[in-house]
Amino acid sequence: MQNSRRKFLLGTAAVVGAASVAGYKETLTAVSTLSDKGEKADDSIYFNSPQAEYSFSGDQFVPNSDYKICPTTCIGCTTQCGVRVKIDKKTDKVVRVLGNPYNLLSTDPWMPYATSIKESYALLSQKGSFETYRSNVCARGNSIFDKIDDKFRVLKPLKRVGKRGENKWKEIEIEQLIEEIVNGGDLFGEGNVKGLKDVRDTETPINPEEPIFGPKSNGLCMIGTTHEGRFKTVIHRFLKSFGTANFMGHTSICGLSMRAGEAAYLGNFKKYPHLKPDFEHTRYLLSIGTPPGQAGNPFKRQGKLLCRARTEGDIEYVIVSPMQGNSDTLAVGGKSSWIPIIPGTDLAFVMGILQEIINNNLYNGKYLAMPSAEAMKTLGDASWTNAAHLIIQDTEGAGHILKDNKIPVVLDADDNQLKPASLVSQAVLDFQGEVELNGRTYSVQTSFHELKRNVNAYSIKHYAKECGVAVNRIQQVARDFTSHGRRVSVDCHGGTMHTTGFYTTYAVMMLGAMVGNLNYKGGMSAGGGSYKDFAGKQYNLFAYKGKSKVKATRIDKTRMAYEKTNEYKKKVAAGENPYPAKDTWYPFTNALESEVITNSAKGYPYKLDVLLTMNANFMYGTSGGQNHLEKLIKDPKKAVPLFIAVDPFINETSKYADYIIPDSVLYETWGVVHAWAGYQTKITGLRFPVIKPRQASFKNGQPVEMLSFAIALGKRLNLPGFGKNSIKGNDGTWHSLDTPEDIYLRVFENIAMDGSPVPDATDEDIQLSGIEQFVPALKKICGQNWRKTAYVMTRGGRFEGKEKSYKGNVISHSYKKPVQIYNEIVGTTKNSLTGRTHSGTVKYFTQQTVKGTPYSKLYPQKEYPLTAFAFKSNVLATPDTASSRLKEIQYTTYVDINPGTAETFGLRHGDLVKVSSAQGETTGYLRLRHGVHPDTVGIEHGAGRRGEGAVDVEINGTVYKGLISRRTGVFANKIGLKDPDRQQALSTDFVCGSNTRQAIPVMITKLG
Amino acid sequence: MENDNPRRRFLKAGLASTSLALLAGTRANAMSLKNPGRDAGDARYIGRKDSHFVMILDLRKCIGCQACTSVCKVENNVPADQFRTFVTETEVGAYPDVRKAFLPQLCNHCEDPACVPVCPTGATFKREDGIVVVDNTVCWGCGYCISACPYDKRFFNKRTKTADKCNFCAQRVDQGLLPACVETCVGGARIFGDLNDRESDVYKILHNFPTTVLKKAQGTKPQVFYIGLDSKVVELFDTTIDLDDIVKKKQGIEREWMKIAEEVEHHG
Repeated sequence: MQNSRRKFLLGTAAVVGAASVAGYKETLTAVSTLSDKGEKADDSIYFNSPQAEYSFSGDQFVPNSDYKICPTTCIGCTTQCGVRVKIDKKTDKVVRVLGNPYNLLSTDPWMPYATSIKESYALLSQKGSFETYRSNVCARGNSIFDKIDDKFRVLKPLKRVGKRGENKWKEIEIEQLIEEIVNGGDLFGEGNVKGLKDVRDTETPINPEEPIFGPKSNGLCMIGTTHEGRFKTVIHRFLKSFGTANFMGHTSICGLSMRAGEAAYLGNFKKYPHLKPDFEHTRYLLSIGTPPGQAGNPFKRQGKLLCRARTEGDIEYVIVSPMQGNSDTLAVGGKSSWIPIIPGTDLAFVMGILQEIINNNLYNGKYLAMPSAEAMKTLGDASWTNAAHLIIQDTEGAGHILKDNKIPVVLDADDNQLKPASLVSQAVLDFQGEVELNGRTYSVQTSFHELKRNVNAYSIKHYAKECGVAVNRIQQVARDFTSHGRRVSVDCHGGTMHTTGFYTTYAVMMLGAMVGNLNYKGGMSAGGGSYKDFAGKQYNLFAYKGKSKVKATRIDKTRMAYEKTNEYKKKVAAGENPYPAKDTWYPFTNALESEVITNSAKGYPYKLDVLLTMNANFMYGTSGGQNHLEKLIKDPKKAVPLFIAVDPFINETSKYADYIIPDSVLYETWGVVHAWAGYQTKITGLRFPVIKPRQASFKNGQPVEMLSFAIALGKRLNLPGFGKNSIKGNDGTWHSLDTPEDIYLRVFENIAMDGSPVPDATDEDIQLSGIEQFVPALKKICGQNWRKTAYVMTRGGRFEGKEKSYKGNVISHSYKKPVQIYNEIVGTTKNSLTGRTHSGTVKYFTQQTVKGTPYSKLYPQKEYPLTAFAFKSNVLATPDTASSRLKEIQYTTYVDINPGTAETFGLRHGDLVKVSSAQGETTGYLRLRHGVHPDTVGIEHGAGRRGEGAVDVEINGTVYKGLISRRTGVFANKIGLKDPDRQQALSTDFVCGSNTRQAIPVMITKLG
Repeated sequence: MENDNPRRRFLKAGLASTSLALLAGTRANAMSLKNPGRDAGDARYIGRKDSHFVMILDLRKCIGCQACTSVCKVENNVPADQFRTFVTETEVGAYPDVRKAFLPQLCNHCEDPACVPVCPTGATFKREDGIVVVDNTVCWGCGYCISACPYDKRFFNKRTKTADKCNFCAQRVDQGLLPACVETCVGGARIFGDLNDRESDVYKILHNFPTTVLKKAQGTKPQVFYIGLDSKVVELFDTTIDLDDIVKKKQGIEREWMKIAEEVEHHG
């Protein structure tokens, strides 16, 4: 089984005939030297395998005292799976990672929470119920712990010695680093840099013309990454205390189109909930651009449930995507099918289905006619919609829902009379005309009517032509979709990260409303929720004396309407057309990481003083980041005068930092995590340090990482909420905040005590889960509750039983708000550049700029004949590049095209090619696949790195050479576009502002 | 494409010295060779006498995620860029009538293994519980078993310089646990157990379900069974090449790769 014969990667009959690599040569050379003795293996039969962590001699459980097995959370991707880590006690090294059998992200069904730790091991042994509770780890989680000791890891605080981006550093002490960033001064011999103590001015407006923008303390912006368990502390304790509104996660470069579109559908722009199919029980799954099992979140859980459904259950699933993902397998025959589609045209496909459903009355009319929660109760349904609500069409109040005394009014289907929706169980669904309310006549139409009008704006033939899917195929999907009652589901995610992703998502979800699948077994679920953590029964850890309420405009111009600015008001007062604004505003988007650097460079809404990042990598992860943002971030005068990165590695982004603070890796730190979606029961996962952090410590012995850094910095700046009397117990007692443990053991206690408290952990539980070291702190901090707190730690979190998933046919933790066939907030928001009101329900658009110029005009097909898309790897992930072992599982990534396309362009399997858009290019080796739409170019995301060991780094005068194995592969985001309608801005979805990595018009050419 | 039979390639390469050829000829003798560990009744060499371990791979439950490939390397400390198990990913058919196919592969622990009789030293043998193992203290690395295996599931361990292959994680199985690949299989495609135990999942499945084995015509009676294996898939795997290898060569990765491997091993 030599490497060259592994054939991991896709091979097709079409590629046979390309250069063959000899299979046995190396073997034979090696075996012909019989006299050459190798290393002695540890064991004659077991070779170099470590000993089993425990054993069963008969039924007798025998732990192996050389190892401890600790529950914690993996952060190799964004899923946050619960794992158990096998640690060699002598060396403090991780030797293996196992699934946590209590955690639904790693297994299904999961073990009853009351199962003792010892029993959990027995159940996973040969004689147990292994097939039931098998708890697993993916290719990433199994391998990536070698990055803990990677030689490119940052172990000591760094200060740049060259110019920004030169990647030359010197190590300094953390205490000195804090002094420098607090005080500022001429830190780099390039002139004065404003320190944090001067940035923290919570009185003076950051822009005197616009008091609504808030004080100067908003000059600090923090960009994080995925929610890995530490953000709540950083936001509520540090940033809010400092006085800035500027915190960004990574959603805008990840899946914001999906999140925003689903928030619109679910009517909740505050919490941004999203739905996932109930994979286990669904009868028909229509997945648009997010094949379960290929990637997605939760990765393993979706894969596992799909496998079970298609093997033991009764599912038919259709993947609509430019690429056939790993959801498909020949082994399940007709249960799985693939509809190839051109990226960015999914909206046309879905509009076609909606038209077919609506025009042929294939929808659930009784469901859609229920106008209120009361009607839902009366008719015994599990969710309801605003389909029959009336939208005002008059100039005054346009786009608002007609209400009487805040209660929507509808036309009762029984008597055509206007009544409060709460009194009507079946309302008129399809109506346009005039109604009279309180003596005034209103021109109105129902939400459903507007939807119907929009889906009929074009013919099904037109939609079919746009997306390249035949009319009869679209019609077939519409009929299949409406033939399984409520047990049908839809899904979309990263495939919607294009310029019309918001409406694409909204339309995909709208399919569910046609059958009424929300909250139904086999339908759609908003997730089971989590246990109360920071604000709970014992403590409110968000509250502290002197906490300021930050009222400000965010640097990304989200959560704020242009119409509230003085810029707008002044124009209106002067009788001018207030549109266009200087730039875009996004009132119902929650955060846009991808706008921070460009906005600061433009000084609109204002310029930043300090950028603080935590493991962020927007230069690699943003489409167009590397090709468009580099010059802005490289020059300290342009966008970011002071850049502090908290990062365990020097990545494509922290490379441009002025200071790098080492961070913890994987199992070294504290955290509280939740599942995203795709689960029906409550779950809270925990992380606490189970190995000694490798990086430098503060003088007080605390390892340097994000939390300890925030605490030290908070104390140095005398911010409220740190040090003595900063944590208030609900019993009125006060406690100190000096270490992350002070927060997190209390968070764990809140979780343990939530609702009806968990049982006490036994000494055996504690010993067998390797948490003895925490017992003194548990006793000190949690007092009489210490064993309950220990109980949640020994299980790696708290998990509701699987039997709580459903009540009959309905999902127990159901989503309460009504489905928005029409979203009033969206329908009353204007595009700040054009002044046009957004459509409040789904509407068809082709790929376009923010002002509406179609891509087909800007990027003619003659010059850009193919459409590029990026897809998630099932093996590689951005945070795992520093794992060399993972590169053995998948070495590189390719430019994927259809063999027919290759022939047209005169290209061959294995050619080195260049993929170019109008404003960027990337290179890679070509791979031919039949499972790719012929008009497209696919690029697997996660390789082609320029950081984390891929490039040369100089530290204290020593150069560390970058590795080919980390550079190899295709850097997908280098082809990202700018939006020509805006000054210095990347291409976005024109409604929610998400960064567009999909549907990029490109040309492909052979190199060399 | 050249015939893929490893033995033929081996001979064609012309490396078999006279002495090796002679040894290879002593098939019957190889079977009777003594192995000190086995003769001493060491449990690692005998296995569980009353058991017959087999594995079933239900392809309907495989998503090609490579979790098994990954854990196997870690659990067994397999040298860099070498593998005891992996999952081949390929396509069957042509656009748009194309399907994905995955084939998890490992040592088949054959009832009548081709690798055992050719071993000149008695290093490789079948335990009483059906697991085919290699004794690395006796193996001298001649490579005969590697070329004899019709499944190409043995390799020359770069570190021990002996033959190496999957042993069903005997270090775990002997302690009452399961092979690592089975523990970590995301879709639940890998099912392991004792065929002599009528209550076991493997017994029930093999007695109630149609299964197949790879290259049945070789007559080695594999004890790794597949559910949902299409013959087209097997043919494809014999004729495709790995683009990774071409790219690695073009990029000149080899030296760096070995260096990283050493470092990883050093870090443990």
